[in-house]
Amino acid sequence: MSLTRFLPVPSDRMGILWTLLNIEGSVIVEYGPAGTTHFSMGLYGELGIEQENRLFTTHMREEDVIMGDTTRLEKAILEVDENYSPKVIFVVASSCSAVIGTDLRGVCTMVQPKTKAKLVAFEQGGFRGDYSFGLKAAYDLIAGTLAAGGAEHRPGTYNILGASSGAYRCKADVLEIQRLMTEAFSMKCLCAMCLETSVEALEAMTGADINLVIRREALPAARMMEEKFGIPYIYGVPYGYRGTSDWLAVIGEKLGRIVNPKVVGELKRKTMSLMQYRMYSRMFRRDTMKAYLYGEYETVSGLSQFLSDMGIRAAHRISAHSLAPLELREGAEEITHTESEKQRIDILRGLERTLVLADDTAGRLISNTNTFVRISTPLIDGSQVATHMPLVGPRGADMIREYVDSYLNTLR
Amino acid sequence: MDGKELLSRLKRLSEIENPGKDIHGLTYAQFPGTHCPLMGAAMAVRGIRGAYMMIVGTDECSYYTKHMTIHSEDWGGLMGRCVSVTIDQHDVTFGCARKTEEAFAELMEEAAPEAVYIVTTCVPEIIGDDFDAIAERLSEQYKIPVMAVHTEHFKCENHMPGVERAITASFRMMEERPRNNSVNVIGQRMGRFEDTELYRVLRDAGVPVGAQLPSGCSVEDIRNAASAAVNIVVNDIGLPLARKMKSRFGTPYVFFDKFTDPEHIATAYENLFAFLGVPMPDELGELRRNAEAAVEAAGTLQGVPFIYGNTPFRCFEACGFMATLGMQPQLIQCHGIADADSEDVERIKAAADPYITQVANIAPLQYIYDELKPKLYLGHEYAERLRKKGIAIVHTDAGGGMLGFEVATYFAQQLIGATKEAAEINTAKEAEESGRGMTL
Repeated sequence: MSLTRFLPVPSDRMGILWTLLNIEGSVIVEYGPAGTTHFSMGLYGELGIEQENRLFTTHMREEDVIMGDTTRLEKAILEVDENYSPKVIFVVASSCSAVIGTDLRGVCTMVQPKTKAKLVAFEQGGFRGDYSFGLKAAYDLIAGTLAAGGAEHRPGTYNILGASSGAYRCKADVLEIQRLMTEAFSMKCLCAMCLETSVEALEAMTGADINLVIRREALPAARMMEEKFGIPYIYGVPYGYRGTSDWLAVIGEKLGRIVNPKVVGELKRKTMSLMQYRMYSRMFRRDTMKAYLYGEYETVSGLSQFLSDMGIRAAHRISAHSLAPLELREGAEEITHTESEKQRIDILRGLERTLVLADDTAGRLISNTNTFVRISTPLIDGSQVATHMPLVGPRGADMIREYVDSYLNTLR
Repeated sequence: MDGKELLSRLKRLSEIENPGKDIHGLTYAQFPGTHCPLMGAAMAVRGIRGAYMMIVGTDECSYYTKHMTIHSEDWGGLMGRCVSVTIDQHDVTFGCARKTEEAFAELMEEAAPEAVYIVTTCVPEIIGDDFDAIAERLSEQYKIPVMAVHTEHFKCENHMPGVERAITASFRMMEERPRNNSVNVIGQRMGRFEDTELYRVLRDAGVPVGAQLPSGCSVEDIRNAASAAVNIVVNDIGLPLARKMKSRFGTPYVFFDKFTDPEHIATAYENLFAFLGVPMPDELGELRRNAEAAVEAAGTLQGVPFIYGNTPFRCFEACGFMATLGMQPQLIQCHGIADADSEDVERIKAAADPYITQVANIAPLQYIYDELKPKLYLGHEYAERLRKKGIAIVHTDAGGGMLGFEVATYFAQQLIGATKEAAEINTAKEAEESGRGMTL
């Protein structure tokens, strides 16, 4: 089970990088061999993330590895501070500097008095786990260092915590959440941590009425902001019609606001329209309605609930990333994660007449009796361009429903 | 950033005594930085049918490499010949050997490759796993060639050592064979050899082509490589393998890079046919005349200032050739200066004394343009950004798939075309600045 045939699960360091690259007004200085930075351009370009003047490498030579000399890094930090005047410089470790134990925090502490930019060190070099660990570390440190309080209170505003540009349709999902919040509560988003945001927006976060946490990795950051600044939070993602309705109700209750009745009515109408799907299950003589789901934890959880509303049983619910950073309570719903690619391949090759909601790798592995819906990165067969096609909210549910209709046509 | 200050950190060509120390980067913080040797190794194994590449490295190293291969037919796409052993904290502490062996067993069971290149990366090299021994052991166990290719980037400056080490490691597969009249082509990284002038000339002269490493061959071709009469080395990366083959099998080699100077190309052809013991084909005379005519037309390039970036050609040979055309090298970005470059270095110095810097750091170049005001940029840059500064790009990528006089003809034509474009850009720029022209 040691062979990786396809794309491995991105590491903590990769999750940190795609998070930090979304912060305008900041620059990343990587302390490591230049090739990794150059090589990363393909992936981050595909995710739609700008790198120029945001990401630099120091390169690292043998003498740096052997002697532990950090002069090169110190000079690079000073140079970036002077030449680009960012508000924040994130100093990120590489696998090399992490293995030799370079004290990046120490370097930052030493250089900080000489820079105008705030220096923030990330010492993860790709060995502390997959990107889920990286996202948690990034959200913790960003909230802890940038959302430092003192921001003016902006009534009627909220933050989204846990936006990850490595997640499929993340931008579209954030836009859909913003649309829902506008229509349901006339509220405005201050900051989406971390998607196309800025240092200023992150610093203004503590002025919001509420934090909407859409990934469990951002829960510690939300708790910290509640404890320190009294900003309440809710955790949840609006998947499906009923799921969206429930999500809005929880926010309304937390804020003491009434959800726009028009929005509630529309969601109720759509929820009712799903009743017919439950009847279909009794019409098929040969097949049963079942699904395989693979993706971000919240996506798998939310969409399997939505499919359940249509009478489709989630036979396999697999998280694309480790569950360890998610602080799941005992008895939480059964979503599994396996590091074994082989196990996943075996499951996928055994699927027949199943609705497969997963990544493109799964799409390649399943037989053509199945119906495939892409809900997860990595992208192999195509791209994501549209920002009006979310997975969340009623728009996402409408789209999934269309796939379900196609799937039902394959059953007998 | 101050362009003057950036330039003040650099040495001029005449001041370079120790290239390893005297060639400085424009800045300490680089973007995008050079490619890594892991990518170089991948470029090499891509062209060897039947061989698998097994990366031993972090998730990140494996991810980016696989990502690069996914849409490549040569690799076999997602299900293709690029696989990996991703290492974690446990492997860093206890070593990667067992995991590699387990993964290898899985690979053998599922794909039964003819040969495997185990490509190490920075971390396994830092922790010091003995991959030469692991490869040896696996080779004995599974009775197939298994080669260890070391690609730690902290010991080299770019991806080329990765290509070099992968093709040199292929030596292990070669077996004694009776000599025939074929040639091997070693070191072609881009394009298909069958599309080059050199291939056509050899074909017409009745000289068969054997192994093409790494641009397209099979494991079987490599096994039979020792049957060739001559190795044609088309890039420095092929030299270590050619030297090994000469030492073990007595195979002579000819250095036939992508020379831009017709004189150098003629010499390479003469050497090649002398080793082959075949008369020089008549058509070479006409090809040379065509190239010289193209170069003569480039006489109009006198005094044109340029910055040299990354091209498929030999950096100092191309710059030396341009210097003989009267062009003015202002800044040369290079990986280093080799002993073999000395003649070209002298040619350049006779015409100018350009600044020398390391490649792959385009961000600070923007400030250098304002200072040096070049007309041409050779290499990869953002064309639109350069146009705004009155600079035209000399596109040279197509030259990557050429060998022979066609390189000189193509290069001269590209230089002439780009110089005309630069003149047009500057005319439009001046008109716009005086408020009477169209927007660039």
